[in-house]
Amino acid sequence: MYQKTTMIKNPSGLHARPASEFIACAKKFNAKIAIGRTNEEEKVNAKSMVLLLSLGIGHGESVVICADGEDEVEAVDALVALIDSGFNE
Amino acid sequence: MQFKGTSISQGVAIGQAFLYQPYIYEPTKKKLASGDYNEALQRYETARRLARAELEGICQKLDDQEEAAIFRAHIDILYDDTLDEEIRDWITNDGYEGDWAIYSAFEKYIQILGKGKDQLIRERVADLQDVKNRLLRCYAGVPDRDLGKLEEPVIIVTHDLLPSDTATLDRSKVLGLVTEVGGATSHSAIIARSYGIPLLCVPGATELVDHGDLVIVDALEGKFIVSPEEDATNIYTKKRKDWLARREETARYRSAIPVCTDGTRVKVELNLGSATPEELDGADCTDGAGLFRTEFLYMGRSQPPAEDEQYELYKKVLLRFGERPVTLRTLDIGGDKTVECLKLPKEENPFLGKRALRLCFEDPKMFKTQLRAALRASAHGNLRIMFPMVTSLDDIRRAKAFVQETQEELSAAQLAFDAELKIGVMIEIPAIAMMADHVVQEVDFASIGTNDLTQYSLAVDRMNPSVAEYYQSYHPALFRTIGLVAREFRRADKPLCVCGELAADPLAAAVLIGLGVRELSMGISAVASIKKLICALSLEDAEKLARRVQELATAKEVEDYLKTALKKIME
Repeated sequence: MYQKTTMIKNPSGLHARPASEFIACAKKFNAKIAIGRTNEEEKVNAKSMVLLLSLGIGHGESVVICADGEDEVEAVDALVALIDSGFNE
Repeated sequence: MQFKGTSISQGVAIGQAFLYQPYIYEPTKKKLASGDYNEALQRYETARRLARAELEGICQKLDDQEEAAIFRAHIDILYDDTLDEEIRDWITNDGYEGDWAIYSAFEKYIQILGKGKDQLIRERVADLQDVKNRLLRCYAGVPDRDLGKLEEPVIIVTHDLLPSDTATLDRSKVLGLVTEVGGATSHSAIIARSYGIPLLCVPGATELVDHGDLVIVDALEGKFIVSPEEDATNIYTKKRKDWLARREETARYRSAIPVCTDGTRVKVELNLGSATPEELDGADCTDGAGLFRTEFLYMGRSQPPAEDEQYELYKKVLLRFGERPVTLRTLDIGGDKTVECLKLPKEENPFLGKRALRLCFEDPKMFKTQLRAALRASAHGNLRIMFPMVTSLDDIRRAKAFVQETQEELSAAQLAFDAELKIGVMIEIPAIAMMADHVVQEVDFASIGTNDLTQYSLAVDRMNPSVAEYYQSYHPALFRTIGLVAREFRRADKPLCVCGELAADPLAAAVLIGLGVRELSMGISAVASIKKLICALSLEDAEKLARRVQELATAKEVEDYLKTALKKIME
């Protein structure tokens, strides 16, 4: 298990195109990956578009990403870097 | 057989009906007949592959990368791990038919996302619906009646067009459109008008025709004719030819420079209501944006837009117009327009209530946020700020004080803005029109909103259909009022614009020019016809019209007089 916390920087949050890019990135890894708000219990499968959308994470919110599996460190680092890049918005 | 319809996009078309009825799944909760879920799973897998192939086909055909991204997102939804798991679970563990499984799994998330607080999330519901329908249709083995594969030019008859329909639509094969629902601002209407396709709204239309029937769409007079007689066919073939010729003639004026025959230059500007790429397309053939409405930013969301979001959007519009002026109207909410994100009071008489600037004064934080965003954006172009719903000089001074305060804050924070920024007001309340001599000393420019000026001058609620006959756009009192304002602004040599419906109406526009107005702002669809009018008009004639109109007694007399006097030009 490996996890990291970061903040959503792009204005539209994790919906629409940013959500697609996030899912595409998550799917590159074999590890089980989950995402949720830092201050909430609920974590969902980070490879599922509908679950990610139903979380509705917006701009300025703090999220935690955790992964479990062989490539867990690479997965979490890649996803955090993607969020920190602001999705070119 | 002839039926009545509402013209949404003008024109005449004649041709074969293409009855477009999207596949509709009737939800039925059925257990697997054979109990063998392997077969259902296999059928689901095949349907998913088919749907994917269709979506990939659409993506390849689209030039617009933003549109293609929508369909790539559809593939993501189609291959979503969670949805897939739940569909399989409904089949294998609960023993239901595949179509019910697909329906149930999608509906669950459609419900969840539909309840989301965020507008962006709720918009994704339409995508889930779209993918659900596609997958269910593929499961039923029904082929896609694709509007992108039309072979002959046709008239499409359908309930309504979805965004995914219009994205693939082969426009060169569409003579006309008939829809059962949709008003002037529906998705179909916007598409039809921007491509010049005649569109008629006829309730129950899909029940009136068979696929392949010869039909006539007369969206000039609101008629829909199914299987016409031969002489009607001949009459309408000619009517279409005339319409096409007229349209071509007018279109040539779209990019013309609007100069009267004596050399008087009249500025033709654009009204913006949503700043979409289609709307901004009009920038190149106009002299600026005479009215940039900002209400859309506040609509359909739970929180008012933040400063940065507004700043980015205003900046985008300003950059698009370059050196040409963009007149941003501060929030004009209340009256007929309400928004969720602002807690508006329920009022007996909202048009006379806490509307627009009055609301902004009450919520200084929101008002300042918009002003900060606008002022920061002013560093990137030629911005003018305009306040709606002013009644008195007090209102104007109070609003200007807000601007000054905001400017001082920005200076203190060392943020850039245009220090020469022009400030103006809407003239839409008779009281402020009567004070034009004072107003002109207080502002850099003004713009007359004729829709509200009409409703407030004639005491007619423009949203109340039972008094529609009293809403007289050509009432001589209106022209007298505008004349009075125009005189003061001419004398002070300050710009005066008209941005209501009158500016987009050639008959009235001629009078406005005669009264001394030199800026007319309108929607892109009126630009060509107004420019055509200007190019055919002499200032002397326009002034004659204006003088006469102010002497006439009734709206009917004005209308008849203008129709006769401008007959030659209007042809």
